[in-house]
Amino acid sequence: MKLAYYPGCVSRSTGKDMDASTRAVCKALGIELVELEDWNCCGATHVSNELVATGLAARNMAQTDLEIMTSCSICYSNLRSAVLNLEDLETRKKVNAVLDKKYSGARVRHALDVILECLAGNDERIAVPLKELKVAPYYGCLLTRPGGIYSPEFPTILEKLIKTLQAEPIDFRLKTFCCGGPIFMSQEEAANDIAFRILSEARKAGAEVIVTVCPLCQLMLDAKQKALEQKHGTKIEIPVLYVTQLAGIALGLGPDELGLNMNAVSPMAMMEKVYERMTE
Amino acid sequence: MAKDEEFKHEVLRLAGEEVLTCIQCGTCSASCPTANLMNPSIRKLIKLCLEGKKEEALHNDTLGLCTSCLLCTVRCPRGIRPKAVVSALKDLAEREGVPGVDLAYEQLFLKQIRDFGRISELPLTGEFLLVFPRGMVQSMQMGLELAPKGKISLEMEKVRGRDEVKRIVEELGR
Repeated sequence: MKLAYYPGCVSRSTGKDMDASTRAVCKALGIELVELEDWNCCGATHVSNELVATGLAARNMAQTDLEIMTSCSICYSNLRSAVLNLEDLETRKKVNAVLDKKYSGARVRHALDVILECLAGNDERIAVPLKELKVAPYYGCLLTRPGGIYSPEFPTILEKLIKTLQAEPIDFRLKTFCCGGPIFMSQEEAANDIAFRILSEARKAGAEVIVTVCPLCQLMLDAKQKALEQKHGTKIEIPVLYVTQLAGIALGLGPDELGLNMNAVSPMAMMEKVYERMTE
Repeated sequence: MAKDEEFKHEVLRLAGEEVLTCIQCGTCSASCPTANLMNPSIRKLIKLCLEGKKEEALHNDTLGLCTSCLLCTVRCPRGIRPKAVVSALKDLAEREGVPGVDLAYEQLFLKQIRDFGRISELPLTGEFLLVFPRGMVQSMQMGLELAPKGKISLEMEKVRGRDEVKRIVEELGR
């Protein structure tokens, strides 16, 4: 399989582990990634003018004829929204008028979907089955929204992947509840309250690890976890992994390749449990 | 056209004519993760737009509390995109120079895209803290978590096609 890869801006800083694990997992699965040559920011959740956001996405998508894969749900949602908006010929005309390379359609996929497709019915690649590992599937918002691919409120694809890796998805009530990330810079308290609610729920539900499909969710639940523990005088201590990191562990890839040393809450204790259960 | 009608039409142009079909059921407000902090609620905000009440629709904390989660949008029984209404109002507020930290963040974000084509998180945070020093404690906290892990970059990311990106931002943003 050969795919165009759109890493997104966070791949260069707070999402370095997402980028590293995406590349490592794809390599292990025999997927060739061709990075978009001159990709730009998708606008994240901060470009209010819809036509501008559509134009930014279109410039990225016009750079390739291949299917485009990204691991970031925000990028994914923005590209998908743009594909929908660009079906309107008036919008497409306006956008193409300012583009060098013209947009003429695109297919966009999230890494989760690509990994699941590659692993389906191919169990021998799973060198480290994640036996009995209780995983909270945390979708957040933008993998499934706008709707049209997955159910925007009751998706199951993450649970499917977790089961494929031979782990146990827990019933996670807040799996599609927003992490608060997009407003954490200017509305700190509101965002923190939401993130804490999700972490507490995961703790209560007995999660050993939370798996995310979005770098902003990961930032909120992982990098803020210690501060939230201190603020609320409680312990959470749940590692928060990208779906690509979790898949990579099951594929037998090493911590360095997967950027596991970059997680704020160390997943090493969890990994030890995984290896113990494997040899039991 | 009267001023309030003009405002209403600008919102409809940006967020979609279907906003006119709002039945004020409140599904949007009931779905919102920050609804408890909002005044006016999303439902009320849409009403204000349809009544042409520009001042109230543009000057409030509600716009800054939207997390763009799109739950309102996937649930609206009329196929309205309430988040698109919020975005339209933010867009108008930014153009009119309405003050506010949330809008300031968006403006810095868009400026970095316009000038460089990509976002570099550290310089963006730095610029934002100049207008919002209260965010310093949180940013330091996160910096202390992320820096030792190598997840903070000092690089200023740039695309080659900066002229094209600038055109997208400036010409499509009119």
